[in-house]
Amino acid sequence: MSNGWMPHLILRTASLLAPADRRAEWVREWRSELWYIPRKRSTRFCLGAFRDALWVRRNHASAVKGTAIHLVSPLSCLAFLAIVAALSLAITLLLPAPGLPDMPQRLRARDLPAGCCAMLIFTSTMLPVLWLVMGRAPSHFHRVPWPNRVRGGIFLVLKIALVHPIVLTSFLLAISLNHVVPIAALGIFGTAIFALRWTLIDQRERCPVCLRLLTDPVRIGTASQTLLEWYGGESACSRGHGLLHRAEIPSSYSEYPQWHRLDASWQGLFLEGLGRR
Amino acid sequence: MAEGLRLSHTSAMILQAVGTGHVYGYTVIAVTGLASGTVYPALRRLEGDELVRSEWERQSTADAALRPPRKYYQLTPSGEAALEISRKRYPLLSKLAPLTEVEDV
Repeated sequence: MSNGWMPHLILRTASLLAPADRRAEWVREWRSELWYIPRKRSTRFCLGAFRDALWVRRNHASAVKGTAIHLVSPLSCLAFLAIVAALSLAITLLLPAPGLPDMPQRLRARDLPAGCCAMLIFTSTMLPVLWLVMGRAPSHFHRVPWPNRVRGGIFLVLKIALVHPIVLTSFLLAISLNHVVPIAALGIFGTAIFALRWTLIDQRERCPVCLRLLTDPVRIGTASQTLLEWYGGESACSRGHGLLHRAEIPSSYSEYPQWHRLDASWQGLFLEGLGRR
Repeated sequence: MAEGLRLSHTSAMILQAVGTGHVYGYTVIAVTGLASGTVYPALRRLEGDELVRSEWERQSTADAALRPPRKYYQLTPSGEAALEISRKRYPLLSKLAPLTEVEDV
């Protein structure tokens, strides 16, 4: 049965949302069903494909495992950033230096620390504004022990240090491209804000005890209960150190995300927590 | 598994439709009146919960009828048990038209 080009175009577009390794099967399924749909209903029928494709993507575990960069543990996150920073610095050595009178044509390896420091000073001016825009970090119901806080601080500092080579590369890239695209230099602001924002968000999404990324986000409560209790999302530390509650609509009693520590009695529920602290 | 399972009304309707012989996605849509964007994800979810199982029709059967092969759904034993529980919870489910009444689809 011919249904015209529109339903096929809709299906083709929706298929882009489906995970790549299941796309062929997904398209085959929808196309075979489409064959039986009366022409006048086919467009409406195909619009449902978007929702289905999204559902398949959201519930397709292997795709997430296969493509996600594993930044869960603090060490893997730092290792990943170190590799990207090293690559960025290598690219930096190939790019022309900004055309200042006392500068060489290209940056030398010994100029890189100074370049990164200059970027650090530049981004430091943005940090307070970003902090204000992003709101307060999660508050803790229970006091986090100071060794954990020190570790968290060191981790944040290292992350900030490692994103600066990337910012430096984007700065030089933006400067060199500015001859071609006049507003390219503005890209430096975008990169700096993106890098810093990611650093802060990543820090807030981590367990304050083990610094691993929080997992298993679930939705709690419903909007209709908003007068009686909070509703929003909850993420858990995979090692059972605690839960992060984030209200969907901040209210006077749940304005900021709240970290709830779980005591040792919960450990049995968390497989990763067994035998590790 | 099915004994502790409480299905939503939508899922129960879809299960009932499959149980009464509407084994293809579109026939489920036609008989329940639900949107395609609801039915297909629900069928996948029910399949994930092992309440229904799906199978592709044989290519030779489809070729003989000059049409593409279709995927059809069947209730599993757990699905039948879950449907039985849902019928008690939603008595109007039994009124969903059996296959013979929507043969024009």
